[in-house]
Amino acid sequence: MSAQVVVCCGSGGVGKTSTSAALGLALAQSGHRVALLTIDPAKRLADSLNLGAIGGTPTRVPLKNVSGRCEALMLDVEETFEALIRRVATSEDSAERILSNRYFQFASTRLGGVHEYMAAEKVRELALSGEYDFVVVDTPPARNALDFLRAPDRIAGLMDGGVVRWMAMPATRSGWRALELGSEAVARVLRRLIGQSTIGEIAEFFELFRDLWEGFHVRSNELKQLLSSDQTRFFLITSPAPTARSEALFFLDQLDDFEVPFGGFIINRVESPPLHDRDPSPYLPEGLPEQLVEAIRIVPEKQRLTAEEHSRSIQSLLSAGPDGANHWIVPDLGKPINKLDDLLELASHLPAAPIP
Amino acid sequence: MSLLSREILIVTGKGGTGKTTVAASLGLWAARAGKRTLLVECNGSRQIPTLFRRASEGYSPTRLHPDLSAMSITAEEAIEDYVVKQIKVRKLYKMVFRNRVMGPFMDAVPGLHDAVHLGKVYDLIEDDKTRGQPNWDLIIVDAPATGHGLHMLASARSMMELTRAGPVYEGVKLVHDVISDTNRTGLVLTCLPEDLPVNETIELNDHLRAADHQVAGVVLNEMSDVPLPSADDWTAHGPSLQTSTHPEVQEAAVLTERWIARRDRQLTAKARLEASIDAPLTTLPFLMNRALGFAELDRLSHLLADSMEAR
Repeated sequence: MSAQVVVCCGSGGVGKTSTSAALGLALAQSGHRVALLTIDPAKRLADSLNLGAIGGTPTRVPLKNVSGRCEALMLDVEETFEALIRRVATSEDSAERILSNRYFQFASTRLGGVHEYMAAEKVRELALSGEYDFVVVDTPPARNALDFLRAPDRIAGLMDGGVVRWMAMPATRSGWRALELGSEAVARVLRRLIGQSTIGEIAEFFELFRDLWEGFHVRSNELKQLLSSDQTRFFLITSPAPTARSEALFFLDQLDDFEVPFGGFIINRVESPPLHDRDPSPYLPEGLPEQLVEAIRIVPEKQRLTAEEHSRSIQSLLSAGPDGANHWIVPDLGKPINKLDDLLELASHLPAAPIP
Repeated sequence: MSLLSREILIVTGKGGTGKTTVAASLGLWAARAGKRTLLVECNGSRQIPTLFRRASEGYSPTRLHPDLSAMSITAEEAIEDYVVKQIKVRKLYKMVFRNRVMGPFMDAVPGLHDAVHLGKVYDLIEDDKTRGQPNWDLIIVDAPATGHGLHMLASARSMMELTRAGPVYEGVKLVHDVISDTNRTGLVLTCLPEDLPVNETIELNDHLRAADHQVAGVVLNEMSDVPLPSADDWTAHGPSLQTSTHPEVQEAAVLTERWIARRDRQLTAKARLEASIDAPLTTLPFLMNRALGFAELDRLSHLLADSMEAR
C-alpha cells in the first residue's frame, strides 16, 4: 500500500518550510507514520525542526506523547542518484562504469532538473516503502516546484528523444541520417561549438545509460501515477500579499496541465484587526514618554490597515481558485518559528487530515 | 568603490526578498545619475516593465524611463543569438538547433542555460565597445533566487571545466573573467530582516567568497519604520498598560508590545548581517501598498541613493 503524498508548493519567504514541517507534525500527532522530505537546497528544515542536522536518512523528530512518528530527511542528490543507478543497472559492472564516467561525475549534481528528478525519485521510494502513511514534501520556490513535476518526463525525454541514439553513433553519416538532421556540415558546427572530446564523453555516458532506460521508465510511470492519483494533494503555501493572486493563478494553471490534484491554499502570517475601535490615548495615565503615547495611538491603526489589506488579498486569492477550494488561514504568531514548540503551535492551525 | 561605477550589477537573494524591486530601484537611481541603464530579467520573466506600466518587448530592450530600459532573456534566444554569431548563418542554426533532438541535448549540457544568460549580458557590455559606441553604461541583472543564482554565477566556470578548450571555452572564459572582476561586476544581495533569510544570506555570502566573488552591497528590505518607544521605556511602562482597566488601552498595549518585539527581532537580524558580511548594508522600509508602481520605486530609489552615497 502506497503512502499518501502531500506536496507543499509556493514562492520563497512565505514560511513554506515551516508549514510543511508543521503539517508533518500534525499528521504524526494524529497517529500517522510520516516522512518529511525537504528538497530545498537552502537546508532550512534542520533550523526550524531544531534537530541539529538532517541528512539523507530519515531522522525521527523527538515528539512526546504522540502515537505516530515524524521522520525528517534532506534530499542527498548524489547519494540518491547513485543508489538509483545501482538499483536499475542490469549488472554491477555496468553500474560501476556509469558512476566512473567523467561526464556523469560532472553532470550528476549540476545538470538542470537532476535535483528535482532525484526528489521525485525519493518521494516515490518513500511512498512505496511501506514504512509510512504520509510523505510530506517541501519543494523549492514556485517555478522550480513545477520542475519537480516536469523532471521525470524531462529526464525520460533525454533518454527517449533521438539524442541517445545520436549520442551512441557520434557524428557518423548513418547516425545523422537516422535522425534526419541533415549533413556533415551540421556535425561540423556542433563539433566546432562544443568540441569533439566533450561530445565523446557525453556520448559514452548516454551509451552506458541505455542500460538503465527500462528501469527509469518503469519508475517514471509509477511516479506519475502516484502524483496524479487520489493519494496525493498539492498545496499552495502563500501569504496575504497582493502578489499572491497572480502566483496562485500561475500555479493552478500548471497543476491543470499536469492533471495533479489541488489540496487547497494555506495562507500564512495573517494579521487580524484590533477588537476595539476607539482611540486609546484619552485613557492613558499621565507622564508617559511622548513617543510611547504616539505608538499606543498609531499601532492599533496600523494593525487595522494591515489586517484590511490582508483580508482584501485573501478574497482576491480565493476568487482566483476553483469554487469551494479548501483554505486555511494561519495567524501571524508574533514570533519567529524556530523551535519545535512553535511548529506545534503552527500545526494547530493546519489541516489534521490534508487528504480527505 | 561606488556601486554605480561598475558595469554590471547582479542582484540575487532568497526568494521573496525583493530582488526585482531592488533591481528596478537601483536602475532608477542609476538612470537619474546619468547612466544609460539596462535592467535584465532572466528565464523569460517580464515583471519589471509591468512595474512601470509598460508592455514588455521581451528580448528587445523596452524603454521605461529616460536612460532606463529593460529586457527579458530566455536561454533559447540567447543560444540562438550566440550560435548565429559564431556560424553566421541563421538558416544553419535553425537546421541544427530547432529540432526534437537538440532540445534535450542542450538540456544535457550542465550550466549551459545559465551560462548563455551571462554570455548575453557580457555581449551587451562588450560587443558595442569594439564599435566605439556602447549602448549601455550599466547593466543590472535581476538574477534567479539563491540556489539558482549561485548556479548562474558558477555556470561560466562549469562550462570551462566541461569543454576544456575550443571556442565555447574561450567565450565562457571571457565571461567568467568579467563576472569575477569586482571592479567591473558587483553582486548585490537582497534579504529580509528575519532569522531564516539572514541565515541563508550569510550562507550565500560564504559560498560566494569561496568561489572568489565579493559582495558589493546588501539590501535589507521591509524594515518597519513605524516610530516605536525604546525597549527601556517599554519595560518601564508597558506591563502596567497591558493590565489597564480600559480594554482599548489594554489591546493597544498588547499590540504595541508585539510590534516592538518584531522591531527588535529585525534589529537583531540586521546586526547579525552586518557582523557577518563585509559589504555596505542598506535598509529599505516596508511599504504598506505592496502593489508597487512608479511612485514607490522612485521613493525606494531615492532611499537607496541617499544611503549608498552617504558612504
